[in-house]
Amino acid sequence: MMATGSASEAAPNRLRSSMLGARLSEAAWGYGFAFVPFAVFGLFFIYPFVYAVYISFFHWGILGKQPGASGTYNYSKVLHDPVFHIALKNIAEYALAVVPLEMGLGLSLALLVNGKIRGRSFFRSGFYFPSIASSVAITVIILYLFAPHGPFNTFFGFSTDWFGNASTVGWSIVGLNAWTTSGTVMIFYLAALQSIPEDVYEASALDGAGAWRTFRKITFPLLKPAHFFCLVVFGIGALKLFDQSYIVSNGTGGPNYATTTPILYIYRQAFANYDFGVAAAAGVVFLGIILVLTVAQWFTLGRQEAG
Amino acid sequence: MRKRAVVVVLGLLLVAVALAATAQAGHKSQKVTNVTFAGWSSGPDEDALDQQMANAFNASHSGIHVNWTVINGNYGDAMTARFAAHNPPDVFYVDSSVIGSWEKQGVIQPLNGFVAKSHYNTKAFYPKLLGAFKKGNTIYGFPKDWSPLATEVNNNLFGKAGIKSAPKTWAQLKSDAKTMVQKGVSKHPICLSPDWARMGAFMYQNGGSLTKNLTSKANAAAVNYYVGLLKSGLAYTPPSGSWCGQELGQGHAAIIFEGNWVLPYMKSTYPKVHYGVRPMIKGKQQGNLAFTVSWSMSKDSKNKQAAWTVLSWLVGKQGEKLWMSKGLALSPRKDVKSIGGRGPFLAAAPFARGWGFGNPNFANAYTVMGNDLNAVIAGSMSTQSMLSDVSKALKGQ
Repeated sequence: MMATGSASEAAPNRLRSSMLGARLSEAAWGYGFAFVPFAVFGLFFIYPFVYAVYISFFHWGILGKQPGASGTYNYSKVLHDPVFHIALKNIAEYALAVVPLEMGLGLSLALLVNGKIRGRSFFRSGFYFPSIASSVAITVIILYLFAPHGPFNTFFGFSTDWFGNASTVGWSIVGLNAWTTSGTVMIFYLAALQSIPEDVYEASALDGAGAWRTFRKITFPLLKPAHFFCLVVFGIGALKLFDQSYIVSNGTGGPNYATTTPILYIYRQAFANYDFGVAAAAGVVFLGIILVLTVAQWFTLGRQEAG
Repeated sequence: MRKRAVVVVLGLLLVAVALAATAQAGHKSQKVTNVTFAGWSSGPDEDALDQQMANAFNASHSGIHVNWTVINGNYGDAMTARFAAHNPPDVFYVDSSVIGSWEKQGVIQPLNGFVAKSHYNTKAFYPKLLGAFKKGNTIYGFPKDWSPLATEVNNNLFGKAGIKSAPKTWAQLKSDAKTMVQKGVSKHPICLSPDWARMGAFMYQNGGSLTKNLTSKANAAAVNYYVGLLKSGLAYTPPSGSWCGQELGQGHAAIIFEGNWVLPYMKSTYPKVHYGVRPMIKGKQQGNLAFTVSWSMSKDSKNKQAAWTVLSWLVGKQGEKLWMSKGLALSPRKDVKSIGGRGPFLAAAPFARGWGFGNPNFANAYTVMGNDLNAVIAGSMSTQSMLSDVSKALKGQ
């Protein structure tokens, strides 16, 4: 009896222990797989970020820590630098102009290619193409097309130096980026449009709503999660403007600081002034600004969307 | 008989092995030091010339082997990354505009010790050009080539306006340009870059300076003259994507102020355009800027003595003769001739100031210069504010 009893107890124990073993093994595999991206993220994002915060408190040159000012000196230098103020003003103006334009253009394109039109796939690919092409290559081509004696001015009879004049260069970059990014925005809106149930439109059709009323009262409000997503993602993307301002100004942020952006300012502090401490401090300040803006967006638009 | 043959063959084999081992040992005893020299490349011609320099050096030196490496992309950024990784080339190009910053960052090897030890003759170099790479008496590089600015004119437009010679003074520049406008030859005859690397020459011509008392009346007057030419319409700035050399080639500009680099450009891009090169115009006095590049040595070089042998050969008489053979730039040495037709440039050697002036804050100040000058031209900033801004930037404030 004893033997039988212990055998009957041992079976569930074995089962329990083998299940535990399987669960442990499963967990080990799971953590193992998760470790790789975490390690990559830690090595290439967290470590540089922590290191940047660290060096922002020191006078830091090409070869590392240098004697001289430390503490919050770099932060004070950044916050009192008129060029950094100009960079913030430029990027605020740019983001306020480019994000609505990108979203409006992206939504329009999405509505266009969501309809039953001939050659839909061709248009979808065509509109998306500028988003996947190299921004450097596109900028260089646009600089050629819009040069004072270039094809655009020759065709339309203009003589404006679109990318060389302080009063037009900002808007020219807005136009260029709105065009190149609208394809990506279109993809997000297209996905959101296709997730709207068909019966809502059928109901509105039964109620006799026209196309514009349907769009205003049904499509646009139901796209709210997509609006919020695009606003945050492309808003942050706009704040990180660098490529175009670097290429257009040859890295100087000119003419007359018109293309100076915070990221270009950080780049110049690091690679022209070799003041990596100030560059890091500017990076931390700018990160703080982006964080505040994102949280503000969440509390205004995101909360409503979540609710 | 057979045994004897085997013994002979074995003996021969042993001798062969012994000989091979001796040869190998001899080869090992002749140690070869590898030295890397690097720079940017302005085009295939310069790249090929650098490789030719490497081949010539290797052919005449048995203990050192040099390898030429071209650094593509942004040279300053690429070198910064290499300095930070303590892995820069042994010998490399340094533009005079960044020598001050790089010296301050402690990445450039002072060369005085090597100069003294090898009794290297520094007097063969034009003093102002060598001075561009010195801080006090410490030498941080030897100029490999240079170019000042000169006056280049479109002969056809000058002929149409009935003007026989290129302007020599500020007054002549203005009157020639006015004549061209009046005769309808050109709407804006002068091309002026919105760049202190051109305007600076005018400041020296007016008795001013970029290193002392930047806010002086002489500097302000030179700026007002330069900007005044633009505001009066006698001059224009090259549109984005273009430069004054291109404007001369396309016949838009009749007068420009550029360096030796305009000559190979015109030859390859606008071979049919008739243009003339004259010495840079003068104001109250002669004044010019020298755009020069050095061969310098890395402080992190592991083979400094060998690197010095390479560097001193590159800027030596033999190296410079080869470097000048394609006419890409002018010789910094008095004892090596530049190729023909460079007289108008060489005339500036005694007085042209090395662009960058050894100032460690120059790279940042140059950005301030460019942006502020655009603002002055646009009328949104005063000359005095710009000079004050730039003065502060040069002091690192």
